[in-house]
Amino acid sequence: MRRRYRSKAVRAGSGLRFLRSGLIFLSGLVGATSAAAADSPAELFRNTIQPVLKQQCLGCHGEGNVFANLDLRTRDAALKGGQRGPAIESGSPGDSLLMSAIDHAGELAMPPGGPEKQLPQETRDAFRAWITAGAPYADGRSTAKWNFEEGDIWAFRPVKRVEPPTEGISCLSPHPTAEARDTTAMTSLRLRAVLDVRSSTPARAKRLAPRPDGPLTHFTSPRGEKCRIDPAAVQTPVDSFVLARLAEKGLEPAPRADRRTLIRRLTFDLTGLPPTPGEVQAFLDDESEGAYKKVVERLLDSPRYGERWGRHWLDVTRYADTAGYSNDFVRPNAWRYRDYVIRAFNSDKPYDRFVLEQIAGDELFPDDPEAILATGFLRMGPWEHTGMAVAAVTRQLFLDDVTHHVGQSFLGVTLACARCHDHKFDPIPTKDYYRMQAVFAKTAFARRPLPFLPSESTEGFDQGRKPIQTRLEELERRMHDLHEAARERLARAKGPEAAANARTTTLQRYLSSEQAELLKLLRKRVIMHKLSVLRFEPLAMTVSNGYVQEWEALRYRNSYLQPGDYARAKTHVLAGGDIQAPGQEVSPGVLEAVARYSDLPAPQIPDRLSGRRSALARWIADPDNPLTSRVLVNRVWQYHFGRGLASNANNFGKMGKKPSHPELLDWLAVFFIDQGWSVKAVHRVILYSEAYRRASDHQNRELVDKLDPENIYLARFSPRRLEAEEIRDSMMAVAGELSDFAGGPGTYAQINPEVAHQPRHAMGTLQPVYEAEPTRRRRNRRSVYSFQRRSMMDPMIEVFNGANPDLTCERRESSTVPTQAFALLNADLSRDMALIMAQRLDSLPAGMRVESAFRLAFGRDPTSEERDWTEEFVAEMTAHLEGNPAAARRLPTDIVHTITSELTGERFEFVQPAYTGPYEHNPHPSEMPPGIRAWADLALALFNSNEFLYVY
Amino acid sequence: MKRPVLAARPSRRELLYHSGMGLGAIALSAMLQKDRAQAGVLAPRRAHHEAKAKNCIFLLMEGGPSHIDTFNPKPKLVDLHMTEFVKKKNKFEASMNTGKRYFVRSPFEFRRAGRMGIEINAKLAQFADCVDDICFYRGLQATSVNHPTALYHLNTGNRFGGDPAIGAWVTYGLGTENQNLPGFVVLPDLAFPQGGAGNWSNGFLPAHYQGTPLRSQGAPVLDMRPPEYVTEHQQRKTLDFIGRLNRSHSQRHPHHDELASRIESYELAFRMQAEMPEAVNIDLEPKATHELYGVGSDNSEVDSIGRRCLLARRLVERGVRFVQVIVSGWDSHDYIEKAHGKRLDSIDRPIAGLLKDLKRSGLLEETLVVWAGEFGRTPDNGLRGGQAVWGRDHNAPAMAFWIAGGGAPRGKIVGATDETGRNAVEAVHPIKNMHVTLLHLLGLDDTRLTYFAQGREKQLSQTGGELIKELIA
Repeated sequence: MRRRYRSKAVRAGSGLRFLRSGLIFLSGLVGATSAAAADSPAELFRNTIQPVLKQQCLGCHGEGNVFANLDLRTRDAALKGGQRGPAIESGSPGDSLLMSAIDHAGELAMPPGGPEKQLPQETRDAFRAWITAGAPYADGRSTAKWNFEEGDIWAFRPVKRVEPPTEGISCLSPHPTAEARDTTAMTSLRLRAVLDVRSSTPARAKRLAPRPDGPLTHFTSPRGEKCRIDPAAVQTPVDSFVLARLAEKGLEPAPRADRRTLIRRLTFDLTGLPPTPGEVQAFLDDESEGAYKKVVERLLDSPRYGERWGRHWLDVTRYADTAGYSNDFVRPNAWRYRDYVIRAFNSDKPYDRFVLEQIAGDELFPDDPEAILATGFLRMGPWEHTGMAVAAVTRQLFLDDVTHHVGQSFLGVTLACARCHDHKFDPIPTKDYYRMQAVFAKTAFARRPLPFLPSESTEGFDQGRKPIQTRLEELERRMHDLHEAARERLARAKGPEAAANARTTTLQRYLSSEQAELLKLLRKRVIMHKLSVLRFEPLAMTVSNGYVQEWEALRYRNSYLQPGDYARAKTHVLAGGDIQAPGQEVSPGVLEAVARYSDLPAPQIPDRLSGRRSALARWIADPDNPLTSRVLVNRVWQYHFGRGLASNANNFGKMGKKPSHPELLDWLAVFFIDQGWSVKAVHRVILYSEAYRRASDHQNRELVDKLDPENIYLARFSPRRLEAEEIRDSMMAVAGELSDFAGGPGTYAQINPEVAHQPRHAMGTLQPVYEAEPTRRRRNRRSVYSFQRRSMMDPMIEVFNGANPDLTCERRESSTVPTQAFALLNADLSRDMALIMAQRLDSLPAGMRVESAFRLAFGRDPTSEERDWTEEFVAEMTAHLEGNPAAARRLPTDIVHTITSELTGERFEFVQPAYTGPYEHNPHPSEMPPGIRAWADLALALFNSNEFLYVY
Repeated sequence: MKRPVLAARPSRRELLYHSGMGLGAIALSAMLQKDRAQAGVLAPRRAHHEAKAKNCIFLLMEGGPSHIDTFNPKPKLVDLHMTEFVKKKNKFEASMNTGKRYFVRSPFEFRRAGRMGIEINAKLAQFADCVDDICFYRGLQATSVNHPTALYHLNTGNRFGGDPAIGAWVTYGLGTENQNLPGFVVLPDLAFPQGGAGNWSNGFLPAHYQGTPLRSQGAPVLDMRPPEYVTEHQQRKTLDFIGRLNRSHSQRHPHHDELASRIESYELAFRMQAEMPEAVNIDLEPKATHELYGVGSDNSEVDSIGRRCLLARRLVERGVRFVQVIVSGWDSHDYIEKAHGKRLDSIDRPIAGLLKDLKRSGLLEETLVVWAGEFGRTPDNGLRGGQAVWGRDHNAPAMAFWIAGGGAPRGKIVGATDETGRNAVEAVHPIKNMHVTLLHLLGLDDTRLTYFAQGREKQLSQTGGELIKELIA
């Protein structure tokens, strides 16, 4: 027990210092009071006193109970004391009852439980020091006195304007020869010897000669000497920085990838889709000098670009079409934010404007509908308020979410840590956290009318709306019938007058428990359908200041969702992040560390109702803000190379990884701003570089893997597995099935029917059944347009490490699990797409099918061996399937959902009619001749192959 | 690499190759390339300290079972019955708990069970036999009174979701014994719980640690079986062809390690496909065992819960590390007598069966059984349903919880609640300390079981907690 306390006290007590220096950590263990003595009184409180109070004291003296009338939650209350008089005499521990109680020095021994429970000596000494210092409670004091290592606060320092290097320091040969390659333990001496012969043997000259696709020669100096970076090896300044680091690390770059690889890499990277065989051929045939750039520009101009890069931003902002938690209510107008993001990327909206619009579009550009839609950003987190929850707590949940989220998305700092205590690793005091939060204190939800823009899609609104409305009418009719039945019974019991005026809660008592359960379901479902149908209304999911202008969950309009609530809202530092322990009141502000370490002064944020967010947004979008531009260019870099220059894209603090190329990061940040915050300009400077165009393998792979196993310095290109959406979209694209229906409300993709029909709880009742869209055009769309339900992800997306919409996703995982094999082999979607691809192949002349299959799936021709295998496979399979017809597919019509009734503890069954209207099936094997089914198996094999799933 | 010449039984490879299940051929090629003895990320790992419990079965009672009506009787409420409960106005009170409120007694009889005469609801006739193996804990306190946040808190340590579930943490810490089955399995009730899959999420841990919900109908694991129109031969040939493509592709990319693990994942998938049907087939159990668990009972709820409990035992027996069984329907705001009564009737035999079965096979020694809801229920009620019938609302500061087996104390009550059951007052601990304690019982140290995410080393207890010593035998 003692030991545990001791280590806890030390960890909490010494906080920052222990991380900086092991010495102080040790002294904390040995010398009883040093940890306490080294802290300022405020830090002492936050780090040591407060945790002990919370864990050991407040259970009986403040939270829940106030035994002996003693409340230790606030300083005033502690000074006032309880039955036995004041607990604390400020400045004199010897006279403080609290002290004698924890010292077991008097009659009273706390915490109760005998000597066993006594606090350890150093904790008690900390209390002594704290009382001596006047026993200050949480006051949100600034931590300007913190000292940080320069390396820990690099991101807060001004972005440096640097010139691309022209020289590097060589530490190893840039071009290891065959001899050098033979050994893994190369010494510089050996290298010198190697380099002495550099004046060229014919073999070496050949090796150094520019490859057909571009120059490769770089530096030719021995270790330790400066070497010139060959300008011919530099396509964009990015190369200068990368080559300089490679030289330092003794790594030579891989040659350029071949053109097939490059166009596949580029096309997936910029659009999330494979190149078509025609696009591949056109690039191969284009002998002009600008052929590569032509491809880059074509892809950047493609509307598919925004769908892919918008998705990256939606990962960060946690986009979903529902609100999560218990009811997982639909957010009917969230899709307009999704399309706004896609448009912003497609039109290369300057990023500073993008920032301003998302944080304060309603304040800054009230006449620009795009800016209104942009503020959906502030409401992207999961959120729910129900009668079970405490209104003030739910509100605080939103405030914490938005504060943290703004910090992480735009500034790359993890503010959440500072909610309860000063940030342990970064210069962010709790006060900053609550000052940032105060910026949003008046922010209220608003759903307001906003006509559809010409750039927004309203395709198929009737098709989407009609089935929901039909269902809604049916539900309302059934609800009405139940009410009437109850009313009749009530009338019989209490007379017609009572029946006429009865409220729903009264009526409910005149129903059987089964009917009551049904009524509960119907009521919830009516709300859900009413929300759902709003998707087709010209409404915007936005914010306003002070006044809530909607009812997020229609029925819960009581509690705090009333106009005017936030107009007078104040923000306090919350001790331990606890809403029941408000401390000092704070005014809106920004991170003080930025002003302290960079050139950007802290702005004056008005303390008024309106304008707070504008001021914050302007500060974030200020070219002098050291974080904003760095964070964004780093994200862009990460999506291109699989790893950021600073590899934790959401965390530029001490605990994030330090940048591998700090100068390059700064150069890109400056370049980005100079180019008018153009994201596409950043794409170009990266994509045109040699660094991006390198082959993924390397002529000297063992050495490279040894010196740089993670490929941080980019001697080669890192291959990657396709992301979930890319896999799903590619199968559809290759099949020729991918719908070009872009934008508009999310539509219901075809997902595993067991998941779709799985009964799921909504608070107290059941969620409606998930039904796939009835037409192929609406169903087989790009994944970014699928309706995204927080409580139920498309399993095909989920299994391939799709982004969990409850968390910001800085980077997709690509772990390999066996359930991925199940999904790709057996899911209806992959099987259906394989069959559609087979139909496509079948429409071609027989001699073209194998080529075409390989070109579509892999972007290359089959080898003659592969051609033989394929033909053999298809022939054999056709013969096999002759004797094995497939049974027809059936769609379920009535889906029975069963839950255990809350009211009765018995089973309650609800039958939901499904797929009542016409349904355009995907083709099915039962309708296909064996030949096409055989080709479908071939296509399925292609989808499951590694070549399909990886980009090199 | 030796192969027995006169093997009486076919080797695993031969089995794989000749297996009609199909994935075998492709798996074989992977094995020929690399005969990997180690099982990858899910391989069993050494615990942080010696511990009895190797596995855990977590019986999650979704909806918030009433401690007052199950394991923590409050005779005082008989005196207070239907007297108004007046409390101080509190702006941090959920609207559910506002309005006129009355104390309500428990409609249930209690009985004494076990050597110590521990009081439990008299409906739990079978369960009464097991009381001497159980440690009832009355000091636990939740924070949230909202189902999804409280469920997330109980399951993941974080009220707002997004973090790894305890099953994911345990599997991350200990790996799992059987590589052919998932390490963390969830057996949901008819409907998925509020908050959905977030309750068994891997959070920021790698995807291997995600809970796998086993489905009661269809293929136990999603898409594990090909559509019915696919013949075995057809699947086998398709897999062979994938193998061919992958082999020649790997030759072109000899340094790309991920390719091998993807090929291996097909092997794993195959083994799961081969082993899972047997593992989940409770029909293979003797009739007496079915009866013990209530499988085949006329009461469909008993049957359903019995099946899940029996399945949990089969899985743990086969080396699954962590099994969570979800039993929903405890949210009795009204009509508690009926609703809780039915629930208690439904769990009695299955849970008693599970404990008895584990005990007789010795598995209880190394299996920690946990029984918990997301919060308790109030001693008072707003009487929505009139005075004749009443229920209870959500209560976070006192709740129902017990553990058994795997190093837990036997036949003991730890902690206490006040006279109405509203607050825990003895051995009071928050959820995080319970998490620290469960991990400890499983040989894991919460402060060492960490993963770097979101800017810091994260842990189940969020920011550290303390051990509840009384819960360790």
